[in-house]
Amino acid sequence: MTNPSSQPPAFRTSRRRFLGGTASVAALAGLARPGEAQDQPDPRAALDGYTPEFLSAAEWAFIVAATARIIPSEGDGPGAIEAQVPVFIDRQLAGEFGAATDLYMEGPFVADADPNFGLQTPLTPAEIYREGIAAFDQWCQQEQGSSFADLDASAQDAALTALSRGEAGLAPEVRDFWTHLLQNTREGYFADPMYGGNAGMQAWVYIGYPGARANFREWVGRDEPYPMGPVNIAGERA
Amino acid sequence: MRTFLRIIGVLVVIAVVAFLAFLFIPVQRTPAQAALPDSWTPEEGQGEYAMRLGDCMACHTAPGGEPFAGGREIESPLGVIYASNITPDNQTGIGGWSLDDFRAALYDGVGPDGTHLYPAMPYENFGRISEEDVRAMYDYFMNDVPPVDNAVSETALSFPFNQRWGLRAWNWVALSDAAGFTAESTDPELSRGEYIVEGPGHCGACHSPRNAIMAEAALDGSDPQFLAGGEIAGWTAPALRGPNSAIRGWSADEVAAIMGTGRNAHSAVNGEMQLVVQDSSQYFTDEDLQAVGAYLVSLNDDGPAPEVTDDGATEALLASADPSMALGARLYLDNCNACHFANGQGADEVFPALAGNSLVTAAQPTGLISMILNGSELPSTAARPYRLRMPGFAARLSDDEVAALASFVRQGWGNAAAPVEAGSVADLRDQGDAATH
Repeated sequence: MTNPSSQPPAFRTSRRRFLGGTASVAALAGLARPGEAQDQPDPRAALDGYTPEFLSAAEWAFIVAATARIIPSEGDGPGAIEAQVPVFIDRQLAGEFGAATDLYMEGPFVADADPNFGLQTPLTPAEIYREGIAAFDQWCQQEQGSSFADLDASAQDAALTALSRGEAGLAPEVRDFWTHLLQNTREGYFADPMYGGNAGMQAWVYIGYPGARANFREWVGRDEPYPMGPVNIAGERA
Repeated sequence: MRTFLRIIGVLVVIAVVAFLAFLFIPVQRTPAQAALPDSWTPEEGQGEYAMRLGDCMACHTAPGGEPFAGGREIESPLGVIYASNITPDNQTGIGGWSLDDFRAALYDGVGPDGTHLYPAMPYENFGRISEEDVRAMYDYFMNDVPPVDNAVSETALSFPFNQRWGLRAWNWVALSDAAGFTAESTDPELSRGEYIVEGPGHCGACHSPRNAIMAEAALDGSDPQFLAGGEIAGWTAPALRGPNSAIRGWSADEVAAIMGTGRNAHSAVNGEMQLVVQDSSQYFTDEDLQAVGAYLVSLNDDGPAPEVTDDGATEALLASADPSMALGARLYLDNCNACHFANGQGADEVFPALAGNSLVTAAQPTGLISMILNGSELPSTAARPYRLRMPGFAARLSDDEVAALASFVRQGWGNAAAPVEAGSVADLRDQGDAATH
């Protein structure tokens, strides 16, 4: 199989050609090609087999819709949906991250303190998501007449832009919602597939990251692309 | 006809009498090999040191158990043998044993009641232990080791191996050499090394081949079979001399280093040898380590080190990171290369070299497969306290992948061992699973 990561960044082929040359990856993840959406399966179909552990149906619909706009499928490289980022986020929220296991969660809480004082909310990340999604969806309903997941792409982009600027009317307790969402989307895109995202190591293949191989002594100082595809922590190869 | 029957009858009677005599006449015990005055007492620490030389602890201490209280399961080709309690407890240990009883166990493999010990006890080798060391060890076990009340499981081998009188017959055939030690060399260092290797160190118990009746094929260094390579619990105990010697080309210092610390520039101890270093050889004095090193090296001065036949192709292939490389090489890059490197040379004192590694190229790949599946952890020694650890890859690699990887390292960098079948991996994986559940 041809390996797109063999291309140096400057000469990297377009995503369209990458997809054309990597039919097996495409088949694996059910990728959609831009401009051919009509006769291609919806990339979201790849998520159909997953039953969320933490998120409700409405929350899941929001996460799928939001991550699809943060790392869109129509751009260069696989989108958040192809990489199954929503699975990563759901599993994180169901686990120790969501429960704030590693955070100091004793008061006093001054939720509207200057952000320079760090995390001040009494809510766990899972609660921030839960209350944040509800509040933001309500704001979308008021402003656009529909919940976020049902808006069209450009309206979604506008809503997320407002959210990122703190203009979506969220309470101070959930003001970190956008920060978490953006950060967790990036994490789900690039983390080892054992955490549910980065399906098929697509994000690693795309950027030419070789994964958990750990030694490239012979390649230090060589001005040429490293050709071998990645390996993940479970030992799978791509 | 009557005469014939009479002859037969007499023969039967003689046979029965001989057999009963075989069963019931006590075994002649080997006497002390040197006359020490009754007033002789060991120096401070001499008894414990003699115990370290003999590595009594490794077998007679169960994992996590009290020292010398027995119970460790010793795997033998005949079945599991339970090591006995050798603390001076009167009921369950060796309390009440006389010096002669103690010596008879070491030299003749016989308990005070005449019971034959299973030859997991290396009395073939211990017959060479000096009277001083016997006395010192006896003093240590009787006076310094606290008694532990620990009744050990009876060893229950299947018939006929559970017939201890059979061991008398076996001893009769197997123990051709008389007890006592005579050094080959007049050089004090070499003769000291030979004493430790042949006698208390009982190196031959694992590193010498076994003959048709499973006795050590040779007991002293003058015989080329001695230390020519053996097997322990399915792992190869590498040859320490001859064309396949694992230490060919090593210096006495390098042998001393791996015995004293568990590692040297070439290699690191694995399998049962880790227990030897942990409980025995790391306690050797520097002089004794050097003596063992000098003696073992002297067994390897009968030819040049084997020519390195590595043409560099393996390193070039790995360094290419060519995505079309075969599965074994790819698995090496994904799993092994970070520590053992593309040249298969590892790093001195930290990561063993795989090129020319006796575990990697052993005729039986059991040790290599087990190493890949389960990993390994070096013992902590005074000189090298950190327990360097190789992780196991059982969860990361399928049987086919382990076989492809093992075959690759057995044939890379000039190694020339036979490939490994996936079935062998599956068998060992099942055994490992059975042992942990």
